[in-house]
Amino acid sequence: MRISQGQLWLNFPMVNAVRARSGFLLRLAESLTITGAALLASVMVFSIFVAIMKVNPLQALYAMYLGAFGTSFSWQVTLVKASPLLLTGLCTALPMRTGLIVIGGEGAFVLGGLFAAEAAHFVPGAPTIIVWLVMAAAGCLVGGIWIMIPAALRVYRGVNETISTLLMNYIAIAIFNQLVEGLFHDPNSLNNPSTYSIGDNNMIGDIGNSQVHWGLIVGMGVCVLAWILVHHTTLGFSADLAGGNPKAARLSGIRINRVILWFAFLGGACAGLAGMIQVAAVQERANDGLNVGYGYAGILVAFMARQDPLAIIPVAVLLGGVHAGKILLATQLGLPNSAALVFQGLLFLFILGAETLYGRFSIFQPQVRT
Amino acid sequence: MSSGRVEVTKHGAPGLEVIGMSKRFGSLKALDNVSLKVQPGTIHALLGGNGAGKSTLVKCVMGFYHADEGDIVLGPKQVTVKDPREARELGMGMVYQHFTLVQNMTVLENLVLSRGKVPGVIKWQQERQEVEHFMATTPFKLSTDAKISGLSAGEKQKLEILKQLYLNTKLLFLDEPTSSLTPGETEEVLGMLQAMVRRGELTIVLITHRFREVMRFADACTILRNGKFVGTGQVAELDQQRMSDWMIGSDQVIQTASRKETPSGSVKLELQELQAQGDSGVPALEKLTVSVHGGEIVGIAGVSGNGQKALIEVIAGQRPLTAGQILVRGQRYRGTRREIQMHRLNCLPEEPLHNTCVGHMSVTRNMAMRKFDQKPNRMFGFFLHNGRLRRHALDLIRRYNVKTPSPESPIRNLSGGNIQRAVLARELCEPSEVLITANPCYGLDFHATADIRSQIMEARNHGAAVLLISEDLDEILELADRIFVIFEGNLIYETSAAAADVSQIGQAMAGHSSAEELVHA
Amino acid sequence: MSQSLGYWGVPLAVLGGILRLSPPFLFVSLGECLTEKSGRINLGQEGTLVMGAMSAYGISYLSGSPWLGVLAAGAVGFILGSIHGWFCSRPRVNDIALGIAMMFLGEGLAFYLGRGLIQPQAAQLASVNLGWWSHQPEIVAALKINILLPVGLALAVIMWWAFRYTRWGMIVRLAGESTDASRAMGYSINTIRFLATAIGGFIAAIGGAFLSLYYPGSWNDNISSGQGLMAVALVIFARWNPINCIYAAVIFGGAKAIGPALQAAGYSSYTYLMNAAPYVLTMVIMIITCSRTRAWVGAPAELGASLR
Repeated sequence: MRISQGQLWLNFPMVNAVRARSGFLLRLAESLTITGAALLASVMVFSIFVAIMKVNPLQALYAMYLGAFGTSFSWQVTLVKASPLLLTGLCTALPMRTGLIVIGGEGAFVLGGLFAAEAAHFVPGAPTIIVWLVMAAAGCLVGGIWIMIPAALRVYRGVNETISTLLMNYIAIAIFNQLVEGLFHDPNSLNNPSTYSIGDNNMIGDIGNSQVHWGLIVGMGVCVLAWILVHHTTLGFSADLAGGNPKAARLSGIRINRVILWFAFLGGACAGLAGMIQVAAVQERANDGLNVGYGYAGILVAFMARQDPLAIIPVAVLLGGVHAGKILLATQLGLPNSAALVFQGLLFLFILGAETLYGRFSIFQPQVRT
Repeated sequence: MSSGRVEVTKHGAPGLEVIGMSKRFGSLKALDNVSLKVQPGTIHALLGGNGAGKSTLVKCVMGFYHADEGDIVLGPKQVTVKDPREARELGMGMVYQHFTLVQNMTVLENLVLSRGKVPGVIKWQQERQEVEHFMATTPFKLSTDAKISGLSAGEKQKLEILKQLYLNTKLLFLDEPTSSLTPGETEEVLGMLQAMVRRGELTIVLITHRFREVMRFADACTILRNGKFVGTGQVAELDQQRMSDWMIGSDQVIQTASRKETPSGSVKLELQELQAQGDSGVPALEKLTVSVHGGEIVGIAGVSGNGQKALIEVIAGQRPLTAGQILVRGQRYRGTRREIQMHRLNCLPEEPLHNTCVGHMSVTRNMAMRKFDQKPNRMFGFFLHNGRLRRHALDLIRRYNVKTPSPESPIRNLSGGNIQRAVLARELCEPSEVLITANPCYGLDFHATADIRSQIMEARNHGAAVLLISEDLDEILELADRIFVIFEGNLIYETSAAAADVSQIGQAMAGHSSAEELVHA
Repeated sequence: MSQSLGYWGVPLAVLGGILRLSPPFLFVSLGECLTEKSGRINLGQEGTLVMGAMSAYGISYLSGSPWLGVLAAGAVGFILGSIHGWFCSRPRVNDIALGIAMMFLGEGLAFYLGRGLIQPQAAQLASVNLGWWSHQPEIVAALKINILLPVGLALAVIMWWAFRYTRWGMIVRLAGESTDASRAMGYSINTIRFLATAIGGFIAAIGGAFLSLYYPGSWNDNISSGQGLMAVALVIFARWNPINCIYAAVIFGGAKAIGPALQAAGYSSYTYLMNAAPYVLTMVIMIITCSRTRAWVGAPAELGASLR
C-alpha cells in the first residue's frame, strides 16, 4: 500500500512546498481521498448486488442520483431528509471528541420529539416563538439527559457506553410507545396512535417558496456553533485532550469527567432538538413516524465526517440524498426501501474499514524540515 | 573477523557466527555490516546503549526481521532463518525484556502451550508429570499449578528461561533479562545459567547495558554503537573503562550535570501517608511519606512494580488516593489546573508520548496544554487565541531545537527525542517550583539523556524541589541529594547521596529487612 | 389458561416461554463467547441473527428441508463473521463500531432479500414433546422443545471442554489473553481471531434459524427485536464461560417470557415496558458487574482494551 518516496512526480518542488507548509490541507486531502475511495467501493459493491438482483446498476445509480440531486424537487426532499441528520450526527460526533462512542441518537431523538410535542401544551395560547422555545428546551433537556446517563455510567462505573446506549435505544422506544399509547395519547388518533397535535399555528414554516423547512438552517447553524465550540474554545480543547489521552488530560489538571458529561449532554441535546424540529416542522405530533432510523443514520454521518461538526453538513446532505434517492429507486425500478439500507450498511462498513488507510500514503505526510 | 569453523559442545550447545549483517528500516540504518562470533558453551555479552542495534541484530538472527545482508553460521553449518518458528527448530530461543507469559493461565498451561506441537486433546495429568519430571533436571523450581499473575518478577523470569530449556533450546538469547529483577534475583538466575553453560549444556548471548553483569558472568563480549560493530574481546582481557569508551565513543563524553551547592530551602512538597490501590485492586502504596525541600533532588530507587507507577500517578492526578494527602508549599494539593499554575508544579513522566501528550494533536496544541486557558491565550471568557498558541509553539520549537515539519504536525510523527524535547520545553520553559519526574530518560539515546539530566539539575539549582523516581540506579546516584528505596509501596531505606552504599541500596531494593532499621535509626 | 391451572398458569407459561425463547439467546451468546474468547467483540450479531433467520427460512421454503435451512443460516453467519473478522484484522479498525455497521448491513440485506418470504410458509423444524405424561393441554404445550435446544446445550458443554482440554481451545484463549505471547509462540493472532469470529457467526446464525423455523416460526422484519445485541451482555453476564451462557440464556428467555405470560393472565397494561425488560435487565447487569477501578473478572485480557 505504501507509495514510494522515490516516485518522480512526488519530487516536484511545488508539491514539496505544499507538503512542508500545510499540514491542514494535507489532512483534508487525505480525508477526502480516503472517504471518496470508500464511497466508490460501496457504490461498486452495491452495483454488483443490484446486478445480481437483475436490475441494471447504472440505471439504479442514475435513479438514485435523480431522486437525490437531479431536480430542484429532489434537492428539496434531500435537504428535508438531511435536516435531522445534521443534529443526530452531532449526537455521536460531539461525545466522540471526548473518546466516547455514543450510538444512542435514536433514543434521544424519539424521546426529545415526544417530550417537545408534550411540552407545547404547557404553554397553551402563548406566542409561537415561546412555544418553540419551550419545545426546544424540553427536547434538548430530555435528549441531553438521556445521553448523559450512559456517559455518567461510563465515567463513574466503567460501563461501556456503546453497548449501554444501544440498549437504551430500545428502552427509549419502549417508553415512547408506552407514553404515546398511554399517558400522552390523543384518543382521536385511532389507527396511528399519536400525541395531541401541537397546533397548526405552531408549525415551523418553509424557507421561501420551497418545501424545505427552517429546521435545516437551524441544524446548519448548530453545526457551525459546534465547530466553534470544538476548535475555538477552552472547553473544546479540554475535550480533545480528554478524548485523545485521558492520562495527559488528568496530568494537566483537566476535570475530564466534567468535560465528558458536558459533551454527552450537548450531543444528546442536539438529537433531542432534532426530534423537536421533526415534530414541529414535519410531523405536527409525536408518533411512530419519528422512529424511522434518523438516529442510527446520524452515527454514520458522524463517522464519515470524522467527528468534525463542519464536515457533518456536506455528509448529512449526501446521506439525505441516499434516503431521498430510494424513493425513485422504488417507484422506477421496484427496488424496496431496504435497498437503501443495504447501501447505507455497505457505506458504513467501507468508511470504517477505510480508517486503516490513514497515514499509509506518504504523499499525504508532511516532510521533516531539515 | 575470521570465519573459522565454529564447533558444538558435546551436549549440543552450538556456537554462532554472524557475518556482515545489515538491516535498514526506511531511512534508518539499524545495522551496518555487523559481525559477531560466539564460542560454543560460553556466555557472550552484547553491549551497547539505546539504539545501538543489539536487539535488531538478535531479532534478525531469530527470524523476526529479515536482514538485508549477512550470513548466519550456527554450529557447523550456515543457516537461513525465515521466522521464529524455524529458529526454534534450530534450537535457538529468546527471552524478551517484557514477559510473554499468559497472566490468566497456570505455569503448566504456559509451558505446554509454548511447545508448538500441542496434541489435539491435552491430557493434563500426563503433561503435569512430564513437566515436573523435566523441572527436576533443571535448577529452577516452580509450582506447576500456580497462576502467572501470582508469580513474582523473578519467578516469571525463571519460567521464561525454563520455557526455553523445556523447548530444548541450546542457543539462548537473553534481552535485558534482569531489568525487572532485584540484584539478588539477578545473581541467582544468571548464576544458575552460568553453571549450565559451564557444563556445556547451553550457549548464551546476553543483551545488556550493565557492566556489572558483563564482568561477573560473561566470558566474552561484543560492543555495538549506532548500528555498527566497534569491538570485541574476552572479558578477562578487557576493563570497564575500555568497554565504556567503546560504547559511548570518544566524541561523546558524559556531560555530568553540575551540582551547585545551594542552601537547603523550605519544604515544598510533602507526601503524607499516601495510600492507593494498584490496577488489580491490591494496595500499591502503603502510607508512603516523604518531604522534598527546595533546591534538592530526592531520588526514589527500587525494582519496578513496587508502587512507583502508582506514586507518580497519584501525584499527577491520574489515580485516586484512598488515604493520605499531598501538600505543596504547605497547602493541600488536589491536582487542579489552578493549583498546578499557582505552585508552578511540573511533571515529567516516562514515555512522554504515552503519558503527557495527545499523539494525534498538533505540536502547537501539545505545547499549549499547560497554558491554553490562561489569559491572554483565552479571550472573552472561553475562546481560544489560536494564533497566540501557535506563536508560543514556534518560539519553543526554535528555543529547544525541536525538529518538526511544522507546528501543525501531529506530535506522534516526531521522533522520541524530539517528543521528549517538546514536552521538556512545555514543562520547563518557565522556572519550576516543584518538579516530579519518573524514568525521564527511559528509551532515549545518549544525547537526549544527558540533556534531560542537566535540565533536571538546572531546575534544582534554581531552587525547585525535585522528586525523581527511577528504576535506573545509576541515574539516581548521579542526580539525587537524598536517596530512598521503595519496596512494596513503602519507603524502607534512606541515605544521603554522599553516604550512599550501592550494596546496601541493592539489599533494600530486594526488601531486605535489615535495611528497614536504617530508616528509623 | 388460569381456569384449569389457577395461579400455576403464569410460571408454567414462563417455563414454556423459556424453552421457546432461550435457544436463540443461547446460540448467539455461545457464538459471541467464542469470538470474545479470542479477544475481539462482534456487535454485529444482530445482523447475523436476522440474516440467519431469513436465509434459513428461505432455504427451507425452497428446498423443503428445514435442516438444510439451518445449515444455510450457519453458512451465511460464517460469511458475515468472516467479513467482520477480515476488516477488524486491519490496523486501526474499531471492532465495536464495525460491528454496528455489520448489524445495519445484515439487517438491510435480510429485509431486502427476505421481502418475498413474508407470505409463504416454510417447512418447520420438528419438536419433541416432553409433556406426554400430562393430560393438561397447557402443560403439553409448554413442554414442547425443539431439537436445536439440546444441540445448543451440547454445544455449550463441548465448548467448555474444548477451551480447557484441546489445542484449538487453548490457542483461542491464548489469542484472547495475550497478543505478545501468541506471537512469541508463532501463532497468527489475525488468523485465530478471524476464524473465531467466522465460526462465532456460524453458531449465532443458527439462533436465527431457530427464530424463523421454530418460534415464532415465520419471517418478518421484527423477528429478532435486538436479541443479537444482547449477546455481548449475555457473555459478560456469563463471565466468558460457555456453561454459564446456558444460565444467562435462561434468565433472558425468562425476562422475555414474563411480559406475554402476565398479559395472558390478564395484566395487560405496560406491555411495551414489559417487553423492554431484557434490555433493562442487561443494563442492570452491566451496571452491577462493571467497575471503574478494576477489570472484569474472567474477561480475556485483550478484550479489556476494546470494552473500556
